[in-house]
Amino acid sequence: MTRNTTLLLAALACCTAQSATVKYMLWDASQVPAYRQCAADFQKQHPDIQIRIRQAGWDDYWTAISTGFISDTAPDVFVNHLSKYPEIVKNDLLIDLRPLMARDQVDSSLYDAGLLQAWARQGQQFGLPKDWDTVALLVNLTHAQKQGVSLAELQHMDWNPRDGGSFERIAKRLTVDALGHAANSPQFNLKKVSVYGYQTPGAGGMTGQTEWSHFAVSNGFRFQDAPWSPNMHYDHIGLAETIDYLAGLPAKGVSAPLERTRSLGATAMFVSQRVAMIPDGSWMINYYRNNARFEYAWVPLPKGPSGQRTSMLNGTADSIWIGSKVKEDAWQWVKYLASSECQQTVARHGVVFPAVRGSAETAVQAHRQKGIDTSAFLSMAKSPTFLPPIADKASQMNEVIGGAMESIFLGKHRAKATLEDANRQVLQLQR
Amino acid sequence: MRVRFLAVICTVMNPISMPSPRPAHALSATRRAETLTAWALVLPALIGFVAFYALPTLRAIAISLTDWNLLKPAHFVGLQNYAQMLHDGKFWNGMRLSAYYVLLNIPAQMVLGLFLAVAMDRLTRSLFVKSIVLLPYLLSNVLVALIWLWMLDPMMGLVNHGIDAAGFERQPFFGGVDQAMLTVAAVNIWRHMGLVAMLFLAGLQNIPRNLYEAAALEGASEWQMFRWITLPLLRPVMVFVLVTSVTGSFQIFDTIAITTNGGPLDSTRVIVHYIVQNAFSFYQMGYASAMSMTLCLLMVAYTFVQMRIMRASENDLA
Amino acid sequence: MSHTSLLFPSLKQGLRRWRSTRVLAWTVLLVMIAFTLLPLWMVLKTALVHPAALFSSATDLLPAEPTLLNFKKVLGLVSTEEALALGGSGAEIDFMRALCNSALFTAITVTLQTACAAMAAYAFARLRFPGRQSLFGLFVASMMVPGIVTLIPNFILIRDLGWLNTMAGMVAPFCLMQGFSVFFLRQFFLSLPRDLEEAALLEGASHFTIFWRVVLPLSITPLATIATLTGINMWNEFFWPYLVGKDELLQVLPVALQTFKSQTPQGQPDWTGLMAATAITVVPTVVLLLAFGRQVVESVQFSGGK
Repeated sequence: MTRNTTLLLAALACCTAQSATVKYMLWDASQVPAYRQCAADFQKQHPDIQIRIRQAGWDDYWTAISTGFISDTAPDVFVNHLSKYPEIVKNDLLIDLRPLMARDQVDSSLYDAGLLQAWARQGQQFGLPKDWDTVALLVNLTHAQKQGVSLAELQHMDWNPRDGGSFERIAKRLTVDALGHAANSPQFNLKKVSVYGYQTPGAGGMTGQTEWSHFAVSNGFRFQDAPWSPNMHYDHIGLAETIDYLAGLPAKGVSAPLERTRSLGATAMFVSQRVAMIPDGSWMINYYRNNARFEYAWVPLPKGPSGQRTSMLNGTADSIWIGSKVKEDAWQWVKYLASSECQQTVARHGVVFPAVRGSAETAVQAHRQKGIDTSAFLSMAKSPTFLPPIADKASQMNEVIGGAMESIFLGKHRAKATLEDANRQVLQLQR
Repeated sequence: MRVRFLAVICTVMNPISMPSPRPAHALSATRRAETLTAWALVLPALIGFVAFYALPTLRAIAISLTDWNLLKPAHFVGLQNYAQMLHDGKFWNGMRLSAYYVLLNIPAQMVLGLFLAVAMDRLTRSLFVKSIVLLPYLLSNVLVALIWLWMLDPMMGLVNHGIDAAGFERQPFFGGVDQAMLTVAAVNIWRHMGLVAMLFLAGLQNIPRNLYEAAALEGASEWQMFRWITLPLLRPVMVFVLVTSVTGSFQIFDTIAITTNGGPLDSTRVIVHYIVQNAFSFYQMGYASAMSMTLCLLMVAYTFVQMRIMRASENDLA
Repeated sequence: MSHTSLLFPSLKQGLRRWRSTRVLAWTVLLVMIAFTLLPLWMVLKTALVHPAALFSSATDLLPAEPTLLNFKKVLGLVSTEEALALGGSGAEIDFMRALCNSALFTAITVTLQTACAAMAAYAFARLRFPGRQSLFGLFVASMMVPGIVTLIPNFILIRDLGWLNTMAGMVAPFCLMQGFSVFFLRQFFLSLPRDLEEAALLEGASHFTIFWRVVLPLSITPLATIATLTGINMWNEFFWPYLVGKDELLQVLPVALQTFKSQTPQGQPDWTGLMAATAITVVPTVVLLLAFGRQVVESVQFSGGK
């Protein structure tokens, strides 16, 4: 009896000693079920590795990661963001995956070349692509139909910073005051709007991912010369014109002033049917599916002065912390996360568009089965896209540009001078 | 009771004015035992003091002279952080905002608390009422911030709903550049008003009733009694509230972190919030320490000045 | 010493005075009470509303579609998929754990702090030893140092000790020393009549025995006061646990609430869930008031130096 017990205990000790725990962290709560499934599948193939998933909301996520770096308790693997990762790389906190990829012969043709490249610098690879997202326009179809605007019209809008193009005309038709007058009618009461036509979700910080980047880029603006370049172009006239235009919408009654949306945001406004159109990212697909209790649709963004529609294409990736005590196991998990197997699982959950080629179509299918047409995101991905700014000192840059944007949107300053000044400060930071 | 309270004030003013121990020429066995027991009793608090107050303060001074960011080794930079601070607009903005907040907060709390205390003193001794009045103070700053974020929301909050129904324009409150600081102050007044009222109530209940009776017999009105009896005799309590509230208010942080996070447009980026941002968002530990040391000097200086003034007013009262 | 003699010196005069000032006073009081209770009622009401009905009924005074779903969600009685389908963010909050963590944190800090403060206060008040004045002066001076000054070095200290994300790290700065507690208790001890202590001394008791058996039993009230005040402060403490106790297994209530608020993809809080969590968090405070109301009220008033 004693001998058997000893043997059993020894066996257990042996197994538990070999069983490693890989800590994984992500910020999107709606993705957790999908990744729990991946973890379960992974653990079947690797019974000696345990995956412990932790989720923290976006606001807390980066604080948690940085505190983890400082206190040597960072997660082994975490989801990384293109705008945030330069600072992390500069502090030598990530593992270069290239040698591991070569050793295990990871097939990088699985991913779009642009996505993989975005996560590389000077021959080192800092993340394996996980998913990508684009921005589209979310419209309240129930309301649009009431106002006599067809889906086809919404899908083919154009915009320019001078008169707003068909985009502004349609937005005005969708803006309704308390007495039912649309914004293009002479009896429209600017002060008592019950449904706004369009809402800019916020000031946007340094990326303006959903807020203004697509308009600005279609107007000739680009963030920097190339990824990692310290030469930022926030003083480009194309951006100034765009921000001036967007900031001028409340004066026309088409949007609510920024200060009113600060706490709740455009999302709540849309869900409570107080605004007809808002731009939003593909990561919000499920949120609206669960919360918008009326007919709505995702349509492609309006075409800009360049003649094309464009959207920011952001890619997330999984990175490994250099201080991880289980680097090899972490790498196995990352490899699995980046495999078509896991990404197809994620695609079937219909939460994000995974990076592996072909899985986007699976995701759209999954969305269709749940009753939503998300092909607009795919068409945005196929139009000219651009990356978010990738540069060092992002936190401080975000402060500077975010502050400038806020002051313009709040009507305190004009765009051109403010952005020129902000860009000067940003260039100074980069030096 | 008042005597005891005055004793508190006196000791606060002169923390070291205690009877000095008689010089012990020969340490008797009992004296040694006394010393030993004393040290044993003081030891835990002493360890706490050294480990978490004294040494950290010294360390903060040391860090303020470097450019440490917690991830890479620190380099000595002398007084560079302090020089940078003096030129930093946001630093002065932070100081100004904190001072502004104190000016908004303290007088309002005192006035409202006083009215409430007088009302309670006149009307009711009920424990139930006292508990309700005190309740907001017992809630954490986080809770209070969340409650008011909801109540004051421009689109969904009850307050704006009422404003809209009354025919006025909806107010952004936390989202308005001109209103955010006022809103934060109002929320904190809501939380502390009851506390101040309770402190004043205690003071009011110490005022001898015969003073009022005598004045009433001479035909004094309520207002006159309030002005000439109540107020002057409440001065010690007012002074106490003032000392503790000002330094506390100058360091406001929690409410702002939950509601506005320094915005909009830095209109609520009070000094402690700016320091925290530098320390835990930008990881500029050296710069953050320099600013916090400056704040420390300021608070210490204020406390000394305040105690001087109190000593003067004490002599008045006597 | 009743009020009536004050307020009715002569009946006619009294009645006149009674009308205006009393009415004014009652109005003030009732307005203040409503002002205090209304927000709390709105919290409860929102917690009872179904998430889907939230935006349309946000400003009603009564819950539109009353439901206990939010409470269930917050207490972890609902699965993630169900929570997501309900609307809101699908973020999880382990409320029971946060409650236990808060209780543990408060219990440890209050017990240790009160004990250490009492011991030190007695030594300063009654015992003679070299350096007594200077040390006490330093303790009092510590009350003047702003929290932010020691926060950064304390954070670094806790990190170096490896105590980040541990209960030890969270309680450390609070459990041994608090200037106000020492000061307050010393005042009390100074005011105690010495006869009992002197009698015990004459009988050959050691100083420690005097402290333990004579002085402490006489000090239940101030000890309770300090414990109550410290308890309230520790229960509501936010920033230090936010820095040091981020791990979801360790979060105390204020931190859990803040984390829950910022969980969602767009920074858009799950309002009904958040209000349910808030409502539950208020409950212990209310219970405390109901059970120990007199103690709490008197502690607060006592701290003002009654």
